[in-house]
Amino acid sequence: MDNPDIFALAKFGLNLTNEENSNVKCAEIFFGQNKYINIEIEENSLKNSEIGEDNGVAIRVINDKGSLGFAFTNKLEKKSIDYIATIAIKMMNVGTPNPDFKNLPFSYKNYPDVKDLFDKDLKNLQLEDSLKFVKDLVKICEEDEIAISQSANFISNYSKTYIFNSNGLEISGKETSCSLSSYIIVKDKVSKETSFGSEWQTERMLKNLDAERIAKDALIDAKKNVNRKKIKNMKVPIILSPKGTINLILKPIASAVDGETFQHKRSFLVDKRGEIIGSEYLNIEDNGLMAGVAGSSIFDGEGVPCTNKKIFEKGKFLKSGLLHNSYTAGKEGIESTGNASRSSYSSIPSVGITNFIMKAGDFSLEEIIKSIKEGIILDYTGDSPNISTGDFSGLILHGNLIKNGEIKEPLNETMVGINLLDLFLKIDAVSKESKVYGVYQAPYVRIKSVNIIGGAN
Amino acid sequence: MEIADDLKEIDEKLVNKLHQIAKDRVEYWDIRVGVNHGTNLDFTDQKSKEISSYEITECGIRTFINGGWGFYVLKDINRESIKEGFQKAIKLANLSESLNKNKFKIIERDPLIQNFKIVSKQNLEDIDIEEKIDLVIQHEKTASKYSSKIKNTHTLYLDGHAQGIFINSFNSNIFQDLSFLRLFSLAYAQENGILQRAINSVAGIGGYEITETKKAKSLSSKTAKEAVDLLKANSPIGGKFTIIMDPKLTGTFIHEAFGHACEADHVLNKESILEGRIGEKIAIDEVNIIDNPTMNQSKKFNLPYELFGCYFVDDEGIPSQKTVIVERGILKNYLHSLETSSRMGEIPNGHGRASSCSSRPQVRMGFTYLEPKDWNLEEMIEEVKNGILCEDFQYGYTDPTTGNFQFKCKLSYQIENGKKTQLMRDVALSGMTLEILNKITAIGDQNTYNYSDGSCVKGGQSIRVCDGGPYIRIENITVGGLN
Repeated sequence: MDNPDIFALAKFGLNLTNEENSNVKCAEIFFGQNKYINIEIEENSLKNSEIGEDNGVAIRVINDKGSLGFAFTNKLEKKSIDYIATIAIKMMNVGTPNPDFKNLPFSYKNYPDVKDLFDKDLKNLQLEDSLKFVKDLVKICEEDEIAISQSANFISNYSKTYIFNSNGLEISGKETSCSLSSYIIVKDKVSKETSFGSEWQTERMLKNLDAERIAKDALIDAKKNVNRKKIKNMKVPIILSPKGTINLILKPIASAVDGETFQHKRSFLVDKRGEIIGSEYLNIEDNGLMAGVAGSSIFDGEGVPCTNKKIFEKGKFLKSGLLHNSYTAGKEGIESTGNASRSSYSSIPSVGITNFIMKAGDFSLEEIIKSIKEGIILDYTGDSPNISTGDFSGLILHGNLIKNGEIKEPLNETMVGINLLDLFLKIDAVSKESKVYGVYQAPYVRIKSVNIIGGAN
Repeated sequence: MEIADDLKEIDEKLVNKLHQIAKDRVEYWDIRVGVNHGTNLDFTDQKSKEISSYEITECGIRTFINGGWGFYVLKDINRESIKEGFQKAIKLANLSESLNKNKFKIIERDPLIQNFKIVSKQNLEDIDIEEKIDLVIQHEKTASKYSSKIKNTHTLYLDGHAQGIFINSFNSNIFQDLSFLRLFSLAYAQENGILQRAINSVAGIGGYEITETKKAKSLSSKTAKEAVDLLKANSPIGGKFTIIMDPKLTGTFIHEAFGHACEADHVLNKESILEGRIGEKIAIDEVNIIDNPTMNQSKKFNLPYELFGCYFVDDEGIPSQKTVIVERGILKNYLHSLETSSRMGEIPNGHGRASSCSSRPQVRMGFTYLEPKDWNLEEMIEEVKNGILCEDFQYGYTDPTTGNFQFKCKLSYQIENGKKTQLMRDVALSGMTLEILNKITAIGDQNTYNYSDGSCVKGGQSIRVCDGGPYIRIENITVGGLN
């Protein structure tokens, strides 16, 4: 994948957009090269070994009126670049004016030093060397008495990105990542009831992957959820596990502070900037600079340096707490926050998080559980809140009763309903313990009182 | 028919060479090569956010040895790269085989040698980009003009043309030429601090004629109306209610809560509530559930294009066909891929589907539906004292191991003493799939039957599907709510 001369192709592509009668105000050429390994386990046995590559190039052009044209191909050759440049310009010329489109980023003198984004062990990884993860995952499930099946996979990725634009920006970088996920099914020997549990991990460095831990945690998760019980309606405190916190606090806030969602007033946080809307335990930041973490990067999808920014401080939604790419920032007349997100060369930059983190607190998890006489621990729901209204009502797919400070039976057909603004104010404890799931980091969070709709009425 | 240059690389000589390389080294192999072109238009508030065009080629080579699969994906397509990729794929199958504990064989099937082409009434390539943009802007205008309460509109137009070749070790050789189009309309309405959104889409296999049906033309006004109506809707009160599901919701229930449990890969992986239950009574007598993704069904719905979830042949070279899943309440068949049918001693029924040549086929649904019976909607409502009529869905999901599902409905109407009354929003339904199939008290007639189209994601792959059914009535369902 190192073969084509990207710099020569980039120069060729930008020159094509710079011809006199092209009407192009600014242009960008983006190259993405990607190699991956994917190993899949099904029925607790190695099923599929896969290797693949995805290389491509995209051209984005904007004219004086702010009309944007975009085209991409996965052929890295002059002929194809010529073709997409022509198409992108044609697209731009037929597009509608958009005065909000100010400009593409200019070149930056300094980029942050973000450590451990690239691991040469991962770049050079052979599929044969990855099989040890498979063996570890399979073993944990095989040796357990009530585990009956596991689906799991290992993915490694090596990518190179090159961004060039007509404002002189020129940046390239290489990154690696690897991930493991495990989904285990258990069946109770007596009741014959089945349940699933899951766990996953994404890392930049291969040495940090821990297959045994992942399979064990998936197993614990599955076992916690066998022999479920229906309960009656109640209004009680709930504890969100880190997965629950991601579901109900981090993901909704991440969507709501997306500059674009916000500017279109589609967010339940519109008109709340600068206000205290949560308890003092609500502290959130988007940090793209942490060493070795999945969401970190030196530059974003437009070549803008990544940053660390606070979103919520002691319950206050900060005025500066929005995430921007160059377009949404230009619309507000400010600098991009380095949050242009591009999943591959085939997508135009949107706004996305880097690492989205809820700050850990002072309580131990044990203390928090002990503090509850009657309540619920919510681990996982397939639902997500309505970002426009903040309303949430969902099914607790994984959750347990808490009685007299102890975690008890798992819940069946139990639903929970609350508005997020209400939830933020009702946070009254946050744990010291925190877990990392890819680009999210979350503690356990206690919410004062929430409506629970049981299936036993 | 003009064949893309990259596909011409896959000639007889290369195919013979692959058969020769594979001989005595792998038990089964297939290769899929695709060339895709398309246009994406993304407009917000009548301004273009994205106008793009693409050209993507890809190739996936799959190999199989005694229970282990290898899969090699490449994008640079020529005779040499394919031969080289083929050798790598064989190596990968060997690695999989070395650690695989579930040994099985792929049973040989008859070869299929055929060309398939969608004849569209208006070729996508013949329509100027300006015309497509104009269509999107018109939809944007219609939505924003619907009411001053509409604060935001968003319209997305996607079209694509795909040519592909499929070759496998059974000597199948299939060429396909398909085009598709999808149009989404989103509207956000706002009043007194309340914000509501609605989304609708139309999709089909065919050409530009997909945008010209009544359904497509009314897309944005329907969306705007729903968003505005939802402003006045009440939030539901949680509890147990009699529910009437509209065809869209019935279809979602049949697909999401029941259909996935019929996918034989889930069954083999012990992730299905239907494991070991073929031949058993699982629903009331009136329940018949079908998956029929064959082409030529659009006349039933007065549409000039093929239904979005339908196909000629699956991604393992098996022709699409009608499969009876449940007949008179008895579970008859699972949905199969080559692998699951080989292992379970069944005939493959054409459900090995992949999202693209870069992904390996999984067991997937096509057009899954509940057959209509004999109730009309008025009769169904009349008998309900305290219930909810639920129309359309926002999303839904299911715990596969238990069948516990949850659906978030789009528009819901309270039913009081046999009358449909006020509108409610965000009604969340929950229950256990197999209990529901036994709690149905009315299934609508042919006049109440309809279908909807969309995408379904499984294992990271998104494919086009349809589902449908009539209105159905179910007793005693848990409804979640904020109050």
